[in-house]
Amino acid sequence: MPGGPPIVQTVHLLGISVVMGSAVLINLRVLGLALRSQSTEDLIRRLAPWTWTALPLLALSGLVFIVAQPYRYFDNPIFRLKFALMVPAIATTIAFHRRPDARGRLSVVLAVLSLALWIGVVLAGRWIAYVDYLMPVE
Amino acid sequence: MLANLWAWLEALPIAEQIGATWWFPLLESFHVLSSTFIVGSILMVDLRLLNLAGTKYPVTRIIRDVIPWTYAASAVSVITGVGMFITRASRYAEIPAFQIKMTLLVLAAINMGVFHLVSARGISNWDTASSTTSAARFAGACSLLLWVGIMLSGRWVGHVL
Repeated sequence: MPGGPPIVQTVHLLGISVVMGSAVLINLRVLGLALRSQSTEDLIRRLAPWTWTALPLLALSGLVFIVAQPYRYFDNPIFRLKFALMVPAIATTIAFHRRPDARGRLSVVLAVLSLALWIGVVLAGRWIAYVDYLMPVE
Repeated sequence: MLANLWAWLEALPIAEQIGATWWFPLLESFHVLSSTFIVGSILMVDLRLLNLAGTKYPVTRIIRDVIPWTYAASAVSVITGVGMFITRASRYAEIPAFQIKMTLLVLAAINMGVFHLVSARGISNWDTASSTTSAARFAGACSLLLWVGIMLSGRWVGHVL
């Protein structure tokens, strides 16, 4: 189907945009870098549910890529890396959502980790297509 | 005239360096990262203007909080985008998807400009209201549609190059 791949990818990108506007912004708020006029606790309660809405959309659109070209993904080390980063990334966001009132050094460390993990997931996602640059075929 | 400019850009050593190495995917992945951040942050403002989210918060406060980050991400997007463009400038310039994307970007900028200069006049009257003016809702809806179109046409460029 012509136009199919870019449309499904755009749905996936919009899902990522929602994660950027929720999970990633929560991290920036916890670090005191963004949205400082709003309370961290309120912001987490308000924004975290958006990530939980976006994830099924991301899973569904992602599944379309996998079903279309399973071998492109299952043999791909970057694809595995993406999921290895995604599981702890989601876990950090769950942690913030469960304890929106948490303060102190641990929450700062968690926010830095979460930020790095989510950015890593997005970058790895794009690099699935470029695995040959990193691991040239012998 | 423009053709000469594209040819000159393509002949730059840095353009050849990007086009021939892993620099291109590196720029592209940061382009995706910054673009999704732009759309994610603009989405917050759009949904507020449409009264679909954050209605407890004043419109101006959401805009003030979020827009500096949108601009920062835009700088990354422009730099990485130009980096990719110069590798095959004349080819990009002739692709309809690319031309559409640039047109939509200009329209999104005009939409923002009109909102700030015209529709946001007298914003203090409805800043904290859970129902914004019809002009504000129109700006939010336009922005939402334009950015979806920008993402779609941008992704399309990668498939027809």
